[in-house]
Amino acid sequence: MKILAIARNTFREAVRNKVFYLLLFFGVFFAFSSRFVSMLSVGDQQKVLMDVGLASIHFFSVLVAIFTGINLVYKEIEKKTIYNILSKPITRLEFVLGKFTGLALTLLVALASMALLFFLFLFVTTGSFAPRCLIFFGLLYIELLIITSLSLVFSSFSTPILSSIFTVTLYLVGQVLWTFQEFKTRLHEPFSRYVATALYYLLPNLDKFNVKNEVVMEMELSGGRLLAAAAYGVVYVAALLTLAVVIFRRRELN
Amino acid sequence: MQAKTIALFMALILTAGALQFHYDTQVEYFAERQAFVTLPDGKTLKVLSFGYRNLVADFLFIWAIQFYSATHITNRFDYIENIFDVITDLNPRFKAPYLVGSWIMGLEGGRYRMAIRLLEKGARNNPEEWIFEYDAGFYAYRDLKDLELAEKLFKQAAERPNAPPLIRRKWAHMVYMQDNLDYAFRLWKEIERSADDQLSRDSAFHHLYQIDFERDKQLLKRAIGEFRRRFGRNPAELAELRVRGILKEIPRDYQGRDYRYDPESGTIKARRNYKWKSSY
Amino acid sequence: MMAAIEIQGLEKSYPSTFGTRRIPVLRGINLTVEPGQIYGFLGPNGAGKTTTIKCMLGLLRPDRGNIRLLGRDSNSLESRRHLGFLPENPYFYEYLTIRELLGFTGRLFGMSPAERKRRVEEVLRQVGLWGREETKLGKCSKGMIQRAGLAQALVQDPEVLILDEPFSGLDPVGRKELRDLVLSLKHSGRTIFFSSHILQDMELMVDRVAIIINGRLVREGHLDELISRSVRHYELVVEGVDEKAAARAGLSGERRDNRTIIRVETLEEVNSKIRAVQSVSGRIAAMIPVKLTLEDIFMREVGK
Repeated sequence: MKILAIARNTFREAVRNKVFYLLLFFGVFFAFSSRFVSMLSVGDQQKVLMDVGLASIHFFSVLVAIFTGINLVYKEIEKKTIYNILSKPITRLEFVLGKFTGLALTLLVALASMALLFFLFLFVTTGSFAPRCLIFFGLLYIELLIITSLSLVFSSFSTPILSSIFTVTLYLVGQVLWTFQEFKTRLHEPFSRYVATALYYLLPNLDKFNVKNEVVMEMELSGGRLLAAAAYGVVYVAALLTLAVVIFRRRELN
Repeated sequence: MQAKTIALFMALILTAGALQFHYDTQVEYFAERQAFVTLPDGKTLKVLSFGYRNLVADFLFIWAIQFYSATHITNRFDYIENIFDVITDLNPRFKAPYLVGSWIMGLEGGRYRMAIRLLEKGARNNPEEWIFEYDAGFYAYRDLKDLELAEKLFKQAAERPNAPPLIRRKWAHMVYMQDNLDYAFRLWKEIERSADDQLSRDSAFHHLYQIDFERDKQLLKRAIGEFRRRFGRNPAELAELRVRGILKEIPRDYQGRDYRYDPESGTIKARRNYKWKSSY
Repeated sequence: MMAAIEIQGLEKSYPSTFGTRRIPVLRGINLTVEPGQIYGFLGPNGAGKTTTIKCMLGLLRPDRGNIRLLGRDSNSLESRRHLGFLPENPYFYEYLTIRELLGFTGRLFGMSPAERKRRVEEVLRQVGLWGREETKLGKCSKGMIQRAGLAQALVQDPEVLILDEPFSGLDPVGRKELRDLVLSLKHSGRTIFFSSHILQDMELMVDRVAIIINGRLVREGHLDELISRSVRHYELVVEGVDEKAAARAGLSGERRDNRTIIRVETLEEVNSKIRAVQSVSGRIAAMIPVKLTLEDIFMREVGK
């Protein structure tokens, strides 16, 4: 399959990049440093350990997603290696899907290795295994897929610096999008209310995937909620990829 | 082909919106939000904000406004002092958080002493502003009914540069309310002297008239009591107090006119009556 | 017989910096390349060579006109199946080895693993990279990159090969090897379309040539028809003759320092001038045959 060939190549490029390992290293390093942070805490050390560990993994995996996403797609255009691909019998759709699949695979490997080390570390230091963290990792993966699709959309028409800014901005907005609902109730002008509502439903709501607290505090997480979040994520990714294809088809490669 | 893809995109993004709607109906989304259980103190956050102190302060402030107006979160006041402390530590010259924070603490949360502490911090950090102590004085007077504290706060506010004359009047009024009549009289005299508009002068005059009357009333009351003890009756007229040597002189009102005396009940009345005073 | 490449009325413009107007780059290109030909696409930098090639590959959308490759519309995916392309100054993924690049290219054409293995080895030998295929592309010299680029263009054994400025940056040995390779491909029946801004690249190998200037084809045909390969004139540089003596001997020309530069049209004339120089005890310092250059044509076309 041609898509798989592009995916494979993308994956290969990502994992042969030094920055990828640097980010992985930092993720793991900070996850491990939670041991020292937890020592400073009085009582409930496991909670602090998990808090800091999961937060580090969250942060650095998002960095990996943004960095690899933008870097790999833009470099392809900037260095004109894309000519070698698109001058072959490859559609733009195949190209976008191939890139996405490769990036998704890269993120899977990155997240899985960080998660594995986290579980190992947790087991060694506390003697317990927190399977609920798997829920967080699962949803985090969907979040990473949304971020990487966003970076695909942006780098299909913009420069890497702008793409990074757009992606990071949307990521941050996505984390606090839930406030739009509250914000809306404070707006009196109908027009701004419509805008707030539209943005709330259009922009990626990444907070849905952030169940760190629920996981660590052993709060209730209904299956329905998780399923709805996952379905939302998958559909959103599909929408972004479609948009990337639309933009990419229009794009001329000077 | 492109049109079909665009249609697909539309369909997908709408589906995503619908799923989002569905999700929100499933989860009590906002009720879940808890107060910051652990917010690092201002000093730590100064380090953590990496040179974006003001921005972090802005964000925290905006967040706090949203959070504290979410009335369904019942425990939202648990950490309010810490939060506003942090915001004002990050940007001590940012004035709105002191005022808004104290409104929330006081008017919404009924925590007036906390509100006054925040406002005093605002005054310390912004010595050119009178508004903080003025607001604090109001909380002390109106809500805590702590006249001594209110007097202190209004006094401090009044002594700030550019403080409007109104505050001096509040201060004087606090002094008066605590029955410190001589002090209050001096203050009002001062106000009358420095007044540069008719309204202030009138107001000062009314207060001076009233305080003068209160002082005289106390004096006369004591004298009448003494008279009654000696002669077993009320004096027939005030002049009798002088005749019998109880008072060297019969006091007159602020405008130099005699008070009205009722020998039957032994009570004194002023010729003028400023109603807002006699509620006392 | 079906043409290998057929371009009709191709027009393309780019938006200006602020998008307020469109700057025409191609103003109606018509050309036909018959199968088995080596076709040279000659023009100065910025004439529209690369734009034409990108339109052929579907990287750019023409404003007007159509392009058929082996009878298929250039917008169709099928048209690229039998097409090999070497971009100008090719750049490939630094982290791949040459073999991995060729394997990847083979996969893009949907070749089976066995076929891929066979073809990769074949093209490696063809371009002279056999034995060096495990080198990372990031570590390759410019010449090796050019060969690797050629190899990836040849992986699926294309009918038509499009090379954008393939000679640029090659040393004389590299040029010779590339020329030989192109000629051998022609002998196995392939069509080669290549662009260059250097006339000499075209010599000794192309069957036909098209000259593009300012987005228009100004000449098209056999190279010999277009440019007289013979010398246009000669320049004689004469020393040791003062101006008066030179004028007396009929040696009028441009004086530079104490030399006279004389323009001479034919070889016969050259001989008679040499005799004249000797008669006034002068000396020939140099004789320069002046050939027609692309620049001459360009200047002539611009002058029109």
